[in-house]
Amino acid sequence: MRSPLDAPEGDWWSEEVNRRETIWLGITGGWAAVLFGWMAGWTQIGDQNPTGPTERISPERYQEKVTAYKEEAEDAEDGLIPPGEDVFIGAMRYNWDGLPAVLEAGKTYKFHIGSYDVQHGFSIRKGDTLSKQMSLQVLPEYEWVVEMEFDEPGTYHVVCNEFCGVGHRTMHGAFTVRE
Amino acid sequence: MLGLFDNDYDADGFRTCSVTGLNIHRSAENMVKLYGLTSVVALLVGGIFAFFVAMTRWEAIGLVSPNDFYKFTSIHAWNLLIFWMIFMEIAILYVGGPFVLGRKLALENVAKVAYGVMVAGALLVNYAIWTTEQPNQAPLLTSYVPLPSSADFYLGVVVFLVGALVAALPFLATIWKEKREKPDATLPLIAFGAFICSIVAAEAIVGGLITFVPTYFWRIGVIEHLDPAWYRQMYWIVGHGTQQINLLAMITVWYFMTHVVGGAVVASEKVSRTAFILYLFFINMGAAHHLMSDPGVSSAWRVWNTSYAAYGAVIASMIHAFAIPAGLEVGRRARNEGGGTFGWLWSAPWKDPGFSSTILSIIMFGFLGGITGVMMGQMQLNMTWHNTLATPGHFHATVVLGTTLAFMGLLYYVIRLLFGKDWVAKPLATIQPYLYGGAMGLVCLMMMYLGVLYGVPRRHPSVMDIPGTAFDFSAAKPLFAIFGVSAILAIVGGGLFLALALGALFLGDDYEGEAAPTGAGPIVAADGGGGTGETPAETDSAGDDAEAAETAEDDDDGGLAAHAFSMRGTFLLTLVFFVTFVVMYALNWYLLSQLWTIGG
Repeated sequence: MRSPLDAPEGDWWSEEVNRRETIWLGITGGWAAVLFGWMAGWTQIGDQNPTGPTERISPERYQEKVTAYKEEAEDAEDGLIPPGEDVFIGAMRYNWDGLPAVLEAGKTYKFHIGSYDVQHGFSIRKGDTLSKQMSLQVLPEYEWVVEMEFDEPGTYHVVCNEFCGVGHRTMHGAFTVRE
Repeated sequence: MLGLFDNDYDADGFRTCSVTGLNIHRSAENMVKLYGLTSVVALLVGGIFAFFVAMTRWEAIGLVSPNDFYKFTSIHAWNLLIFWMIFMEIAILYVGGPFVLGRKLALENVAKVAYGVMVAGALLVNYAIWTTEQPNQAPLLTSYVPLPSSADFYLGVVVFLVGALVAALPFLATIWKEKREKPDATLPLIAFGAFICSIVAAEAIVGGLITFVPTYFWRIGVIEHLDPAWYRQMYWIVGHGTQQINLLAMITVWYFMTHVVGGAVVASEKVSRTAFILYLFFINMGAAHHLMSDPGVSSAWRVWNTSYAAYGAVIASMIHAFAIPAGLEVGRRARNEGGGTFGWLWSAPWKDPGFSSTILSIIMFGFLGGITGVMMGQMQLNMTWHNTLATPGHFHATVVLGTTLAFMGLLYYVIRLLFGKDWVAKPLATIQPYLYGGAMGLVCLMMMYLGVLYGVPRRHPSVMDIPGTAFDFSAAKPLFAIFGVSAILAIVGGGLFLALALGALFLGDDYEGEAAPTGAGPIVAADGGGGTGETPAETDSAGDDAEAAETAEDDDDGGLAAHAFSMRGTFLLTLVFFVTFVVMYALNWYLLSQLWTIGG
């Protein structure tokens, strides 16, 4: 029996390990395999994955793309109705360009997210069920295309949750999902 | 200085600690005191700012303006996450090296210079944050490019990091000298843990320099452009890497304190050291989990880095989660301190704040900090945690409940054994870890609930009133109230620690080290039951607890191998931990599966 302050002598590597400690080692190894397997498996069978193609793009060019999209979109009372499956959102201090928008339930949209200035956080929650929420990081110089499909109609609120300057707390947007 | 640096040393500058039996040289002891005291100053500054931050987020109080909130949060973060921790960790390296090996601190003057550089860097960072003016923004901990902070801030960070890197050299030189003299000897487990900690620290700090030197040049206009995705990836080498220094230092302190105060022994040298080696190779990749919801890295990169690598470290942490209580269980069983399944635990010195801080740190780090860290490190689950208040909930559980509590426990003994002063107001000292740990535990839980269940964002001075919209988070008010009251109690608990520490240093009686730590029975000199027990027991009596315990009664001098003692109490406790882990994992995935379809 040995103190952690003393240098172990002799062949300490070959000393027996307690049976319960050995079982615990097995549990930890098995659990790590489950953690990896589940995460990797969810990319194949799961419906929620923060994945999609990313492109390098200058903030100016991205802003032009969002502007072109806005001109093409139908301007309804509650916001922009996207002309096709693409939804463009430009994060800027302290506003979400392209929001508010009106989307159809059950339709798959390609959300293009990017920034005109600094880093932002694209954080969506359902207005009446706050626990339904998720966040994606928004970087200038990167256009990230992430597909989303909403089944439940309602208002979805977007707040910025990456510090972007003193007006950060005011950066809010929303979109409506209709039947 | 105020008598704090006087101890009686022999002609060679050594003295023997009456409690641990360590041979301590003046050169190492003075540096440990210097770095340790400085870390406590950072704890005081950061703690004061914690009050303002918490009382702003609890909007029923709403203490400071939105502008000031970011500045106050930045000062809180840098002083507690960086300066309190790293000054303390340098002290821990000097304990783990020179103290444990019974050597002088090599290159003592280098340690002094490094100290000066670190202090200069820390002061410059604080000054730069405090004087932030537009267009600069408060850096918070991350100072994400291209949001500009004061150029002095980046410079201060570089200076501090250089100082910290240099401060590790005397430790490494001490280890080098030891190995030159005794090339075949194995380092004691504590020294080994400290050594691995120093390597992880060096990796983190070099990563920090690679990040902050170019960022400084970018801020002063020498470099025109920095890629924000590059910055994030490089920044987190130091941003998370420093937290991994905390982890390794904390675990080394756990081994040290459970031994010194509770009489723990090493359950298995092979297993514990293998766990440290796993950290060495794998824990640096834990930083990848900050990029799980980022556009700049591919999903293959994300899954790979949070699986093969991070789980190497997760396994290591789970090994320590067994090995440390098992060492305590075996050590106490061997001295006949409590039979049955948990008698060794009931009989432990729970009134001793050094012991209770350590045990609370182990339990709360595991249940609240460790489990949640793994959740966030799953690529998909990360979407529900990323940048919500749950993220600070997680890292307050690791860094406050885990590291800060462990360091407080260590400091209780630094006061006794290095400064030679006994604690004052002992009933208050007994209460302090429970008050601080309990209240802080609630704070962390509330932050996690607010983040995951209500989606409340971090880094917001107000979410009950968002200008320009009717939308707000007022549904979360009741949880914020619990958060706010708990935060006040936690800050009272932290303040109590500082008052007790200063009270002991300046008003405490001399501590002779003769009395046993409160409630620890006959263990005074925690020599771990002798170091001569290399002969394994003849039979594998691990399953036969009664026999092992009986044998132990006859042989308290280490004649029996640690593995022969029952670890059934520890095994049951770790099973409870494992079941909690599985349940939390399943709940988080259930919550995620309720979301709309995301990703192709």
